[in-house]
Amino acid sequence: MSQTVIEYLLLILGAVLVNNFVLTRFLGICPFLGVSKKISTALGMCGAVIFVMTLASAVTWPVYYYVLHQDGVFGKDLTYLITIVFILVIASFVQLVDIAMKKFSPKLHGALGIFLPLITTNCAVLGVSVLNIQLKYGFLKSTVFGFAASLGFSVALLIFTGLREKIDRANPPRAFQGVAIALVTAGLLSLAFMGFASLVK
Amino acid sequence: MTLVTSILMTSGAVAGVGLACGIALAMAAKYLAVKEDPRIGDVTELLPGANCGGCGYAGCADYAKAVVIDDVSINLCAPGAQSVIDDLAKYLGKASEQAEKTVAKVMCGGNSDQAPRKFLYNGVADCGAAHAVGGGDKSCRYGCLGYGSCSRICPVSAIEITDTNIAVVHPALCIGCGACVRTCPRALIKMIPASRSIHVMCSSKDKGPVVKKACKVGCIGCTVCTKLADGAINMEGPLAIVDYSKDLDNEAVVEKCPGKCIVKE
Amino acid sequence: MKALNALFKFKGGVHPDYNKDLCRDQEIKTMPLPSVLKVSMSQHLGAPATPLVKKGDEVLRGQLIGDSSGFISASVHAPTSGKVVAVEPAATATGASCTAVSIEPDGEDKWIDGLKGIDNWENANKKDLVEAIANAGIVGMGGAGFPTNVKLSPPPEKKITTLIINGAECEPYLTADHRLMLEQAQKVWDGCRIIMKILEAEKIIVAIEDNKPEAIQAMEKVMEGTDLNASIAILATEYPQGAEKQQIFSTIGKEVPSGGLPMDVGAVVENVGTVTAIYDAIVKGLPLTERVTTVTGGVIAEPGNVVNRIGTSFQDLIDFCGGFKSKAAKVIAGGPMMGFAQANTATTTTKTTSGILCLGPEKACSYESMPCISCGRCVSACPMKLVPSELSQYLEAEDYEGAEEINVMDCIECGCCAFECPAKRPLVQHMRQGKAHVMIKRRAAQAKK
Repeated sequence: MSQTVIEYLLLILGAVLVNNFVLTRFLGICPFLGVSKKISTALGMCGAVIFVMTLASAVTWPVYYYVLHQDGVFGKDLTYLITIVFILVIASFVQLVDIAMKKFSPKLHGALGIFLPLITTNCAVLGVSVLNIQLKYGFLKSTVFGFAASLGFSVALLIFTGLREKIDRANPPRAFQGVAIALVTAGLLSLAFMGFASLVK
Repeated sequence: MTLVTSILMTSGAVAGVGLACGIALAMAAKYLAVKEDPRIGDVTELLPGANCGGCGYAGCADYAKAVVIDDVSINLCAPGAQSVIDDLAKYLGKASEQAEKTVAKVMCGGNSDQAPRKFLYNGVADCGAAHAVGGGDKSCRYGCLGYGSCSRICPVSAIEITDTNIAVVHPALCIGCGACVRTCPRALIKMIPASRSIHVMCSSKDKGPVVKKACKVGCIGCTVCTKLADGAINMEGPLAIVDYSKDLDNEAVVEKCPGKCIVKE
Repeated sequence: MKALNALFKFKGGVHPDYNKDLCRDQEIKTMPLPSVLKVSMSQHLGAPATPLVKKGDEVLRGQLIGDSSGFISASVHAPTSGKVVAVEPAATATGASCTAVSIEPDGEDKWIDGLKGIDNWENANKKDLVEAIANAGIVGMGGAGFPTNVKLSPPPEKKITTLIINGAECEPYLTADHRLMLEQAQKVWDGCRIIMKILEAEKIIVAIEDNKPEAIQAMEKVMEGTDLNASIAILATEYPQGAEKQQIFSTIGKEVPSGGLPMDVGAVVENVGTVTAIYDAIVKGLPLTERVTTVTGGVIAEPGNVVNRIGTSFQDLIDFCGGFKSKAAKVIAGGPMMGFAQANTATTTTKTTSGILCLGPEKACSYESMPCISCGRCVSACPMKLVPSELSQYLEAEDYEGAEEINVMDCIECGCCAFECPAKRPLVQHMRQGKAHVMIKRRAAQAKK
C-alpha cells in the first residue's frame, strides 16, 4: 500500500477513534445529546452530519486560502476574520443545501431536513474547518479529514444512542432519568475511548 | 495602517463575503423555491400543541395538514375543545361546529371493598397481563383490575389508582384525548359529556345472581331504573346503560337502585 | 424395527426435574361417570362450536351437541347419555368464558344409533377419511387443540414428505402418552397407518424421548415388518422436545421458517393421543368423547392416569385419585411449564386436558421479581433463538413495536426462559402481553384496510 494511502487511513483512524470529535475533543455535544434518543433519528442525524461536515470542509478551505489569506483576492492578511467568515459561509452553505434538498429530493429532505438547522452553528463543523487550517492540510486532506471527523461523530452517536435506548428502558431512579444518566453515560463512554490514546501517534 | 482603515477593511471584507452569500441564497430561494401551503403553519399555531394524538393523527402538525389539504373535520381536537373549533372555523372560513367537552370515566364501582379478588395473582402489574391469567384476579370478569395501565398511559396524569385498587379519572384534569379508552383491556372506560352527573357504575354482562356473588355494587338487571328514567336508561342484556344523548333529571334512580350501582357525582 | 437415535438436536432447552415416577407405572384406569358433565363449546383452537341443544333435551352418547362453526373449528359430541340441565357460560381452563352444555348422566351410557366405522379403510377415499375425522370432532390432543381434519388437509402445493408422531411428552409429571404407547401400541400404530394413507407422505417417524425405553420397545414390536418407510427416532430427553417446531428439527433437521407452519417444510406432527382417537373414529365410527388425563402431584393421594369423559370436573378426577392428602397450593391444568393455574377445582376437562397437576406450598412458591441482570441464561435456553432478556425489557417499557421487530410473535411460550431466569422475571407473561398487543394492533390495521 502506498505511503499516501496509509497516511490517509491513519488520518481517518485518528479522527474516528483516537481523537474522536465528540468524545475526545468535546465538540458537537448538543446534537449528540439531543438526537440520541432513538436509533432511527440518530441515523438521520449521522447522514446529515457526514454530508455537511465533508462539504463544509471542502468549501471553507478555498475561502481561507483565496479570500482571507494575504495571497487571496483582497491582498491583505485578513486571517483574523476566520471565525466570523467561516460561520457566515457555513451557515449560508447549509441553508443553500436545505433549499436545494427540498427542491430536488423531498424524500431526503423529509429524513434529514430537520437536522440541518441543528448542524448549522454546530461547533463540530466550525471546529473541523478551523482545525484543517491550523494543521495546514491541503484541499484533499481537509476534505478527507472533514469526512473522518463526521464518521467519528456518527460512531460515537450511534453507540451512545444504543446505550441510551437500553438505559431508558431499564427505568433509572427518578433523579437520574433523562439527560442526567445520559451525561454520566457520555462521560463513561469518553473514558472508554481514552483507551485508544496511543493507537496513532 | 490606521485604525479607521483597518476597521473599514475588516467590515468591508466581512460585508463582501456576507453579500456574496446573501446573493447566492436569494437566488436559491427564488429559483429553487418549493411551494408549500402556508395555511398549514397557521393552523398548527391555532392548535393546542399537546401532540396527544387524540384526533387520530400523529401530532398537531399532522392534523393541521389533514385539515388544510384533506378537508378533515375541524372538531376532532378534544383538548382544544370549543375555542379551537371556533378559531379553526374562523380561519378556514367554515361554519363553526358545536362540541361538548367530553371526559373519560371508568364505568366500574367495584373497588377492593366491594368486589373481592378470587385468587392471589403473582405476575406483571399490567391490566392486560392480569386479564390474560385466568380471566383476571377480580371476582367480576368485567370489572376494573386496578393495575394501572390506563393511569400510566394518561398524558396528563388524570387517572388515579385509589388505595382500594380501582382506577378513577379526575374530570377536571382530563383533556379527553381517549388514550385510556384504547388501552383498557376490558373496554371499561367511556367518554361521557362532562356536564352529566348520574352514571351507572357497572359494566358487567353477567346475569343478576352471578353479579351479586361477585360484587356488592354491581348491576343486577332489575330494570327499575329504566322505568324511572323516561328513556334515558336502557337495558342491554342484563346491564343498564345511560343514554347520554337524552336528559336524565330524575334523581330517584340513584336511591331506588337495589344494586347500589347508580351514583350521582 | 430397531429404534435409532435422532440425528439432530434443537438449540436451547432446559432440564427440569421430571417427577414422572409418580405415574409412569400406573396403568390407565377408567373413572366412573360423575354426577354432571359440563362440556365446553370451546375445546379447540378457533371459533367455539355452536350449541345445538337446549335445557331439558335428552341426549345420547356421541350425539352432536355443538356444531363446528367455521373453517378453523370443531364439533363437540355428548360424552354420555342423559339430560341437558343447563346451557350457559362457564369459565374455561385459561380463564376465558365460553358456553358450556351441562349434562346429567342417566347411567345408561347409551351410544347414539348409526355410528359406523369405515370398512376396509385401507382402500377408502382420502376425502371420506378426513370427513370422518371431522365428524368425530377430533382435535390435537397434545394440548393445542388444532382441528385435525384441517391439519390433515394441507393445500396441494404443500407436499408432505414426513409424518412425525409425537410421543415425546416432554412436560414434567405427565405420563398419559407414555402409558398409551405402552398399553395400546397396536392401536397407536394402526392409527399412524391411517394417517399415512390420508397424507401419502414418503416416510413416518415415531419420535419418543429416551426416558421412555419401555414405550420405545413396545412401538418397536408393533412396527415390526411394516412395508411403510417407518422408523423410530429416540430423542434426547430435554424440554421442549415435544414442541412441534423443535421436534421437526430434531427428527429431520429442518427449521420451520418464522411465522410459518410445519407443512412449509413438508412435515405434519400428530400427538399419540390424537392418533388413537383417529383409530376409534375411522375403525369404530366413534366420536371423541373421552381422553386419558394424568392426575399427579405431591399432594394427590393416589396419582394415576385416568380415562375420563370430557366435561368431568377437576374435583371429580382428584376425588377418584384419592383426593388431596395435604394442602394444595396450586392446581394446574396441564404440566408445570406451560399449564394454566386454576382459581378453583370446578373447571372441567376438555379434549386437550393432558394433566391435572396439584402442587403443595413448598413446590408452588411465588417469587419477587428483580431487574434483568443480562446474564444471558434465557438466551441460551430459548429454543426459538429469541432474546428474552431484551424482549422483556421492551415489554416492560410497553414498546410493542420494538418487541414485534425482535420477533416476539415467534415465541412458543414454552417457559424455558422463565425457568432459567435467576432474577425470577415473569418472562412468559411479558411475552403473552406483547403478543396480545401486537395482535390487537394487527387486527386494527386489518380492519382499517
